[in-house]
Amino acid sequence: MLLVTLAAPTVGAAREYLQVFITQPYLELHTGPGRGYPVFNVVARQESVDVLYRRTDWFKVRTERGVEGWASQKDMLRTVLADGSPFTFDLGDRAGFTSHRFEMGIFAGNYGGATLISGYTSMSFNSQLAAELSVGQFLGKFSNGVTADLGLTHTIVPEWRLQPFLMLGTGLVHVTPKATLVAPTERTDQTAYVGGGVRYYLTRRFFLRGEYKSHEVFTKRNANQQVDEWKLGFAFFF
Amino acid sequence: METGLRVLLLTAAVLLLPGCAVRNWIHHHNEVKAERKAAKEEEARAAQGQEDDTDTAPPRVIDPDVERRKINVPKIKSSNVELGLHYGALSVEDFGTNPVYGVSAAYHVTEDFFFLGEAGRSQAGRTSFETLGGNVQLLTGAERRFTYYNLALGYNFLPGEAFLGRGIAMPSAFYMLGGIGNVKFAGDDHFTVSFGAGYRVLPADWLAIHITVEDRVFKSDLLGVSKLTNNIEARIGTTVYF
Repeated sequence: MLLVTLAAPTVGAAREYLQVFITQPYLELHTGPGRGYPVFNVVARQESVDVLYRRTDWFKVRTERGVEGWASQKDMLRTVLADGSPFTFDLGDRAGFTSHRFEMGIFAGNYGGATLISGYTSMSFNSQLAAELSVGQFLGKFSNGVTADLGLTHTIVPEWRLQPFLMLGTGLVHVTPKATLVAPTERTDQTAYVGGGVRYYLTRRFFLRGEYKSHEVFTKRNANQQVDEWKLGFAFFF
Repeated sequence: METGLRVLLLTAAVLLLPGCAVRNWIHHHNEVKAERKAAKEEEARAAQGQEDDTDTAPPRVIDPDVERRKINVPKIKSSNVELGLHYGALSVEDFGTNPVYGVSAAYHVTEDFFFLGEAGRSQAGRTSFETLGGNVQLLTGAERRFTYYNLALGYNFLPGEAFLGRGIAMPSAFYMLGGIGNVKFAGDDHFTVSFGAGYRVLPADWLAIHITVEDRVFKSDLLGVSKLTNNIEARIGTTVYF
């Protein structure tokens, strides 16, 4: 019994790295993760490589002889696992645009008449619903400020190349009036927003995104303030 | 009167409920019957198929009762994030050239494109007007602080290898940058457009050395007239891939 328990870990020990077998005549190894880097080694059919890690569309692999190099995603798609099943991984293509986990992007736009610079990141729960955090800085004639929004987006038809979506959320806005005004006071107010926009798939992992948000700023004055935000940007998913 | 009504209603309910149940039960019974019938038909069909098989296929010598090896597919790590520090010289238009330092973070989306966020700080010097004018001070010490951030898109081009002596070859690439951001200078924020180019060489797959030149362009009316100022930064940086 003791022997069995002692022997078990060595027998069942999982490999640290994934081992894949080459099925095409040979697998080319490049010196760097890009098509422009030269091929310095090849791995023959039936031999295997360990997959160490991935950078963009390239895989760092180690051959049975201990040579390390970079193999392209296109070549790795034609390798198989030890049980003969094909090696599959996230390709970063149109299917990924429909359903992915994370998004990030940068925007330029307009926030209530001021120039806006903004960035966002989102995490998807499924292909339609995602939680989103965006931060921005606006630079206007009379005041500057920063905004932070947290909310949900709902993509109406994730399968389309041009995806309309709706947004709902809450945030904060910090406004710093310019010193030229009389008795300027900085203020931070809570906001709520509704909005909508479109994403347009470009290629690989990239897409364009344009959106409109209507912010209701809950000021400490008598009336709330309504601010329109328009922005257009460049984003990617992963 | 009221109690009578209640009794009447209750009786009605008691009578109705089992009625519903019986109806459901009959429905359910029919369903089960149909299912069983379908299963029987299928079995019969399968048996017939097997008989056909035994007629045509040769008898098996070995029954390959081998269990398939289960492959545990470990998660493949990604290494697309590049974080680093840089140090260099920044020429603030009209205010001389001074040391600049900063941080950067990049995400490599494809082998060609990456997103870059960078932030840095420098201290502007004196304008020639101040130097010649003796006691004139255009800005206070705090206002001379030049702080920037920039969100940019980068494009790698001319990939290749850099050689060090006979035995060492390092992957390298040039890249171009274009982005938008903010510069805080002279007590005001300025919307800034940046563009630049750089050279990256990787001594190891996780380490990179950068030489970058970037121009930060913004509108300033500090010296009386509104004009576009070009603030050129040249720097050396080191980054680590995660």
